[in-house]
Amino acid sequence: METLQIRTTPLSLEDAVHLLRRATYHPTYQATKALVGLTPSEASAKLLADPVPPQPDLAWANTVPNLQDFAANARLWPEMQQWWMSRVLSVPHVHEKLVSMWHNIFTSDYINVYIAQWLLNQHKLIRSNATSYATLAEKMVGDPAMLRYLNGELSVKGRPNENFAREWFELFTLGIGNYTESDVLEAARAFTGWRINGVQGVYSRQLADTGTKTILGKTGSWDWKDVVRITLESDACCRYVAKRIIKQFVEFYPTDEVVSNLQKIVRDANYDMNVILQTLLSSEYFYSSAVRGALIKSPAEMVVGLASVLGARGVQPAYAVATMTKLTQEPFYPPTVEGWKGHHAWITSSTFPQRQRFAEAFIDGRQAGSSAKLLDADGKSLTPDVVAMAKQLPDADDAVKLVANMASLMLAVPVTKKQLDVLLDIMLAGAQVYEWNINSPSATQRIKFLLQAIVRMPEYQLT
Amino acid sequence: MKRRSFLRSAGIAGATVSTLPTLINSFTVQALAGGDPRLHAMLEEQDRILVLIQLFGGNDGLNTVVPINNPQYYEGRPTIAIPKNKTLRIHDDLGWHPAMKGFRGLYDQGQLAIVQGVSYPNPDRSHFRGTDIWLTATDADVLGSTGWVGRYLQTLAPGYPTELPAHPLAIQIGTQTSLGLLGSSGTMGISFRDPEEFYRLVNGGGGSAEVPSSEQTDTPAGKEIAFMRNIAKSADVYAQVVKQASDKAGSSTADFPTSDLAGKLKVVSQLISGGLKTRVYLVSWAAASFDTHANQTLTTDPTLGIHANLLTELSEAVSAFMAEMQAKGHHERVAGMTFSEFGRRVAENGSTGTDHGTAAPLFVFGSQVNGGVYGANPNLQDLDAIGDMKMQHDYRDVYASVLLQWFGVPSTQAQQLLYKDFSTTAPSIFKALPTSVEDHQRTSQMFLTVAPNPAAHVVTVRANVAQGSNAVLKLSDMRGKVCGTAILDGWTGVGSIDVSHLSEATYIVTLEDGPRTTHTFVNVSR
Repeated sequence: METLQIRTTPLSLEDAVHLLRRATYHPTYQATKALVGLTPSEASAKLLADPVPPQPDLAWANTVPNLQDFAANARLWPEMQQWWMSRVLSVPHVHEKLVSMWHNIFTSDYINVYIAQWLLNQHKLIRSNATSYATLAEKMVGDPAMLRYLNGELSVKGRPNENFAREWFELFTLGIGNYTESDVLEAARAFTGWRINGVQGVYSRQLADTGTKTILGKTGSWDWKDVVRITLESDACCRYVAKRIIKQFVEFYPTDEVVSNLQKIVRDANYDMNVILQTLLSSEYFYSSAVRGALIKSPAEMVVGLASVLGARGVQPAYAVATMTKLTQEPFYPPTVEGWKGHHAWITSSTFPQRQRFAEAFIDGRQAGSSAKLLDADGKSLTPDVVAMAKQLPDADDAVKLVANMASLMLAVPVTKKQLDVLLDIMLAGAQVYEWNINSPSATQRIKFLLQAIVRMPEYQLT
Repeated sequence: MKRRSFLRSAGIAGATVSTLPTLINSFTVQALAGGDPRLHAMLEEQDRILVLIQLFGGNDGLNTVVPINNPQYYEGRPTIAIPKNKTLRIHDDLGWHPAMKGFRGLYDQGQLAIVQGVSYPNPDRSHFRGTDIWLTATDADVLGSTGWVGRYLQTLAPGYPTELPAHPLAIQIGTQTSLGLLGSSGTMGISFRDPEEFYRLVNGGGGSAEVPSSEQTDTPAGKEIAFMRNIAKSADVYAQVVKQASDKAGSSTADFPTSDLAGKLKVVSQLISGGLKTRVYLVSWAAASFDTHANQTLTTDPTLGIHANLLTELSEAVSAFMAEMQAKGHHERVAGMTFSEFGRRVAENGSTGTDHGTAAPLFVFGSQVNGGVYGANPNLQDLDAIGDMKMQHDYRDVYASVLLQWFGVPSTQAQQLLYKDFSTTAPSIFKALPTSVEDHQRTSQMFLTVAPNPAAHVVTVRANVAQGSNAVLKLSDMRGKVCGTAILDGWTGVGSIDVSHLSEATYIVTLEDGPRTTHTFVNVSR
């Protein structure tokens, strides 16, 4: 099961939607149907090979940062958040999931970084290197947003600042237990020499401590590049990356065995994410019943996934950002340098009901906690066409089949007979099964009842 | 308002929400006090509250409580050391950071304990590992999965979450759920930012639809569903209780600053004033961090900057909170404690900041606290290999003080909760529990002495009884079960009960003399 052996059985509808839920933010019925019948390898190859559409730049992307005026910078932050979310809302590509994952490893936030151009450039750095962890990790060292966030720009030869060096090992590359305090001190020396010039990180050998150091047991006159090389060569780094990938794409509590198996693949692929994901997303392990519904949706998955499955195009990015913020995932603002802990941390006595209120209101074309209509970017009312959505499903004029198909599409775990019966009752709202007519004017409200009942279920929080 | 809608919609209507009466030391006021208002009042007094304030990021202890005559401190910190003449006096060798005016006020009133050099063997310098160690109360090399507070609360409500107490056991003000509140069957607390908003979220659902939950299974998904059902259940039950307390609280008397932390402590004060029986509150900053690697102070003035701002916020918020508790008459049953995952290195780095260190002072405050400094000034000549301070107190010593002295947990149980016995090293931070006759003069005028207290083998009571009467003495445990009786000598008013067979705990002594009944407490300890 956990050997990462390639599964050969062609994808069922449930398999295909599982793949889309995990690999993308857009598990729609249409996309699902396009994968049904393919082998897992074919399906992953198709998703990974899809061209990543180009993204129009923000108007101020290449402007000179204003280092003095707080307000001038602060105005750019929401623009940047919305720009990112507009992308997530519209691009059903694996790439967007990778970008999110790397942001949650190489963290930064707009309050500490302050200069919007730096943070935007870091985001683009992640975007353009999302398929190679090795390249990304190396470029991150001299990234201005990172140099600011973890004080690399202030670290001086002789009296180094340990902030970046510690998180480099603990959070970015190896994980706790795989380095010593001495490694932190020595790496902090090697990471000196960086300053920010405009929008560039600039390294100066004169300012750097290039003396003899011992890093992870290797001694030499190491500079920052050597630290990167030595770190990435270590098995612990492959293991750490493997575990992070599994936690993002498969399950939160993987066995040591499966981590070891992916670790080998990470090593052989030299951190190439396309290779790693092609194997992982085609494996028996990925499709095993034990991991179905084993993760809790992030707020981004919650918001974007719901809009997408309902076919609600044109959600204002600002609304997505605001909702994610309430659900404790504000873009470009992780709670700590560790990023969002995810999984259980997403669900509290406040955020769980908040997720339910958001989803029921969205189905109704309303903003959560208010009777105000949801509007699209053009200011038009954004009420999901739930009848059109239902009609995509086979046998939508059969109430029993419609409820079952809707549950399979919306929920990552199989529903029980009892649950289906109740969902059917909710949709019929007193009518008889044989009276169901998808074309009747009352169908809209009834499908809304069904969808709202589904999104209130704890099962809906799973992916 | 459909109060049950959230419960139903979460698919848990089938589960029993048996709301127990208010818990006090794992027994119920109502059951025990019956119609006796005096015992009721006495038990209410026992209902002690702990407010935990987390200083995430690693607070710089040396710049908070400054060793003003220590040359190594000033040598190690040429840029950021707080000048002696700027500190607020603690004693001849120690001064507060000038931002700590509120703490100094509490200290001067004898209501604040400074515990010096708090850490643990083999201290970890990772924020996240360090925080987990503090929250789980484990040794540095043990990965704990439950929190020390969660484990304690679980002893008060063993049936949680199947059986929920009437009031939440713990509340975290914010949107996170701390590992510290985690018991073996999930979180023992709830979290929200604002009682009103919490109530709206839980009760604002549109549907009355009731989808039954899928059968619990041992699959990962099945476990997650159970996890969410429990959270949904406590949210549903408690949203209303919390709102009622908040509505009942009335306006604050104290002048709370507008800061993040003060706003949260204000909510806590309102819930306490509104009669919520929550035992533990946890507050922390939403965004700010004590991780002062750079620009900890201004280069032009070491008493100003990021750290000074954080200390100001802490000090002012706590001071306002305690003033409010005093004004509302709850100060005697409220105590607070700060904690942070580590202190910072003695020597400053080259960025006007300090890197991760080890031992640091911790603060406990409240009118029932024995104010003062616990432990010596930090020894900056005896540092570890990296240049960090050695510990004087294990952080679990202080937890043991809280459990034993504040919550009255028997020492055997405290040992279980903290995985080791810290009772002999726990500093006497709190004034004695109100178990003696003196503490209950107004409710127990018949008692003259209850001795010894704590008792190991025999407890002897002397009481003021009617001459020649046959007053009955009863000893019952905290669940109300009678575990010993004796007849008081009608002439001397003396009677004894054998307690040698009883386990270590607090017991209730009841004296019935004709129509008069009165109660007090006795601790059994060996």
